[in-house]
Amino acid sequence: MSVAPVASDAGATTGAPELLDAPEPARRGRRRLDLVRFRRRVGLPVMVMALSIAAWDVAVRISGSDMFPRPVEVLRGVIELAERGVLFKYIIASLFRVTWGFALAVMVGVPLGLLLGWFRRLYLAFNPMIQILRPISPIAWIPLAILWFGVSDAAPVFLIFLASVFPITVSAMAAVQNIQPVYVRAARNFGLSRAQLFRRIVFPATLPQIITGIRIALGVAWLVVVAAEMIAVNSGLGYLIIDARNAGKRYDLVVAGMVMIGLIGLALDILVRRLERFDEVRWGYAR
Amino acid sequence: MKRIVVLGSLVWIIVISTLHAHLNLGMGLNSFMPGAEKGPEKFRVGFLPVTCHLTCPVTHYINESMTGEGQLEPVRFNGWPELKEAYLAGYTPATFILAPMAIKLREEGVPIKIVYLGHRDGTAMMVHKDSQIYRIEDLKGKKVAVPNRYSNQRLLVYKALQERGMSLDDITLLEMPPPDMPAALYARAVDAVTSGEPFMAQTELDGYGRILYLTKDVWPNFISCVLAVDERVIETRRDEVQRLVDGIAKSGKWLDDTMDHRMQAADFVSQHYYNQHPRLLRHVLSKPPDRVKYTNLTVRRAEFEEIEALGKADGLLKGTVDFDDYCDTSFVPDDAAVPAHDWEAPQ
Repeated sequence: MSVAPVASDAGATTGAPELLDAPEPARRGRRRLDLVRFRRRVGLPVMVMALSIAAWDVAVRISGSDMFPRPVEVLRGVIELAERGVLFKYIIASLFRVTWGFALAVMVGVPLGLLLGWFRRLYLAFNPMIQILRPISPIAWIPLAILWFGVSDAAPVFLIFLASVFPITVSAMAAVQNIQPVYVRAARNFGLSRAQLFRRIVFPATLPQIITGIRIALGVAWLVVVAAEMIAVNSGLGYLIIDARNAGKRYDLVVAGMVMIGLIGLALDILVRRLERFDEVRWGYAR
Repeated sequence: MKRIVVLGSLVWIIVISTLHAHLNLGMGLNSFMPGAEKGPEKFRVGFLPVTCHLTCPVTHYINESMTGEGQLEPVRFNGWPELKEAYLAGYTPATFILAPMAIKLREEGVPIKIVYLGHRDGTAMMVHKDSQIYRIEDLKGKKVAVPNRYSNQRLLVYKALQERGMSLDDITLLEMPPPDMPAALYARAVDAVTSGEPFMAQTELDGYGRILYLTKDVWPNFISCVLAVDERVIETRRDEVQRLVDGIAKSGKWLDDTMDHRMQAADFVSQHYYNQHPRLLRHVLSKPPDRVKYTNLTVRRAEFEEIEALGKADGLLKGTVDFDDYCDTSFVPDDAAVPAHDWEAPQ
């Protein structure tokens, strides 16, 4: 936690403390630097988004399509959903399913990956099986999920679990296999017990790669929420999209659902990225 | 630091689970307390948002408003595969289903019995208004979307082509969930679509679809969907199944009683069950009034033998089961005796 926010920024080469007591011109320079950075980090992406939305609007107008919604109609759709009170409910429902599917995947995937990475025989025994299961899309599992779990919340949770457990397992496995042997040898020379070796060497050394795997897996978990909610659950952002298809010409709501999924995905990614800033994680990157 | 992450995750899981239970599962905190009231087990019935299954939500709505709650719990699906799988999993012991699909499942040893019809007619074939297709013969070489290979819509196409000396090889058949059909026709990804209403009427109301035929023109008294119940459930919970079928039969009578009832149904079903614009159902249920019908829904041998024969000729069915295997006519031997629900929608 001791890492100051600025230190994570690659451009922040000047330390903040001296500047506080610095003469006026330096402070002004610092402010200008902040402004430049703000423009670059917020201004640029906002500009790209604004241009894309404008292009979208123009494209719909030119094509004369009365099926495909314009951005302002999508915004109205989002407002309508919020007013009907379903937007918040559906976001909660999707987050609930992703939370549980993903949490289960972390609980299973990390230990499993560490074990497989550490014990060569286990790896030889299970890796081919994992590699066979890994490329199967969660959509292919939908029929089986319904047969096993009916159309309760368990079925989408299971699909999200399936989608995210493999990236986590594989990244944990590879992380253990990539530990520099010199760390382990040194630790053994110091007479560390197995438990100590794991806690003080293996876990911290693998953490950065595991976190990367978790980040990818969270993206995948959120990605499959639409597919997972195609099963007859009656809530969720995926359901919102499917339901809007039933509703006749409500493609504004379809796109509204897509936009909400995208925005929440972005928020989740920012959240997980923060994990990478912690000291313990950065240790693994030390050369 | 680790503690923060672990604690944060736990708090998140608890908060999101509580909110979900409260907002979406209708569970207050009370329902987790011991001694919370639990009603009798409800009868889950699968259905799709099409007029072929209209009696399902109508029965539920009328039950709820007459008695506060009923035994029927409608479960809405969006496509046939999911609906079928939920039935096979035992999640929905009763379901509205395509007649040939029910027969096919029976052939494969699934304990399923057709106990009542869902409707009569209520299907159309739509083409794009600018297309050059004016007669069934014009479909030659065109792409036609049907809801499912085990749908009576497919058999209807088969029958219509056969009567004109053509076969299914003359066209390209595609399977497509009914809700996707209007957009596919609009984009002219397919040349013709056919499924249960109101998705056909939607293309008409939105101004790009034209009716090629209504079922009543090709196959009068057409049946596409039926109410089917798990045979094992019929044995163990016969009284409940009887009440379920009675309720659905009464709803059919109620719908066909007056045009006002149909309009009431269009409004409350659109709003509470189908999430569609009421004008769609209002259109389908009234223009013309015999576009879809909900009386004369007793299961009859001759009609199913016709479906079976067509299915066999088309190669969909093997013909290893017969009427008595897949139908149970004992619940409503004659629906002329069934009264309508004595109920009016509150103004």
